[in-house]
Amino acid sequence: MHPFAFATQALRRSAQVRLGRAREFWSKPCLYKAKVVGKSAFKLANMACALHIFAEYVGTVSLMSGLSMMPTLADSGEIVVEDRWSIRWNPTGIARGDLITLYSPLDPSRIICKRVIGLPGDVVCVDPTGQKAPSTEHVVIPKGHLWISGDNAAMSRDSRDYGPVSMSLVRAKLRARIYPDITIFRNPITYLD
Amino acid sequence: MAFATWLSRLKIGGNASGAAQRSRRIPALIYWSPLALAFGNYFYTVKLISGRSMQPTLNPDSSLWRDFGLFDKFSIRSRHGYQRGDIVAIVSPENPRRMIVKRILAVEGDTVRTLPPHPDPEVRVPVGHVWVEGDDSFHTDDSNRLGPIPAALIDSKLVCILWPFDRVGRVTVPTTETLNSVHDWTRRSVQDAIERDKWRKSRVIKSSHSVPRGPHVY
Repeated sequence: MHPFAFATQALRRSAQVRLGRAREFWSKPCLYKAKVVGKSAFKLANMACALHIFAEYVGTVSLMSGLSMMPTLADSGEIVVEDRWSIRWNPTGIARGDLITLYSPLDPSRIICKRVIGLPGDVVCVDPTGQKAPSTEHVVIPKGHLWISGDNAAMSRDSRDYGPVSMSLVRAKLRARIYPDITIFRNPITYLD
Repeated sequence: MAFATWLSRLKIGGNASGAAQRSRRIPALIYWSPLALAFGNYFYTVKLISGRSMQPTLNPDSSLWRDFGLFDKFSIRSRHGYQRGDIVAIVSPENPRRMIVKRILAVEGDTVRTLPPHPDPEVRVPVGHVWVEGDDSFHTDDSNRLGPIPAALIDSKLVCILWPFDRVGRVTVPTTETLNSVHDWTRRSVQDAIERDKWRKSRVIKSSHSVPRGPHVY
């Protein structure tokens, strides 16, 4: 038998089976139909919730936009992997140089992406270029707070404007970029003694 | 093929066909747990309130029973629907593992007269922040020590008390009308609550206009 003919026959047969099933279903009493439809709706909602819980507690892929992380991340159309698991279970396990996403301290409905510069107890120079603050101004980062900064200093609103941000605002760590290319983000910090 | 048999074993519900096959299925409780978890994550949760920072509104006496409260996450997560006077659960800005319960005194743009631990006599609440305080100003770690708190840290707002039984119901600030309708032995505490609310409100200068957010560079 010609493979194409075979495929058509198989399709027709499966269509017949489906039609038969549908007729059987519609001939059932109304209460039964309502039960079946209701149950599958619940199952669908359950599946959506499961996906959402996964994205909320384990991790998700998300689309990035904005100029503030320019050399590391382009201004639009990049997809990255957000790791929420490590922040959930170890919210203080953040290192200098990590890429993080956090809720904006200026607008609770926005999520921003920045690089961690200082940890609690560090002394940080507010702005070494002296544009946003005198270059001699230094601050001690309080307990439970971070100093964050965009890689593109000229086009970024970060700790230079609003000071240290709370660690509780941190949402996830960025682990890798998967589109347009696959890059794993490694911590670029080297310590000089 | 192995995958197909595994899939068929995962089949949930349907007609039961023997105890042997039933034991291989996912228990119904686990299968439906995402629905329950998502409901708790998005809509309403029950939380145990400990500590004395919200006395006498919550945990008023030093009994062993602590208050259980029903918290509304939906209005906070979906539209940031918090107002002055709401009691909210906030992730502590100093410790991400802790949650604190406080009352919102002022929202962005308002000016607040602060209490002792704060260095400045008056503070203007910055954009996207709120000023929170406990009802018992002697036993609380609030904005007077921590400063204005980012609104993104607000987790949920208190709807009602579920336990103990004698205080079940919504938590509202009483008005002078309720004062006339209550019994003599609760009259004084109601009067106190009204006085405290007046005092709280007298320390806040509300801003009527919206605050400029500045250029959207993030």
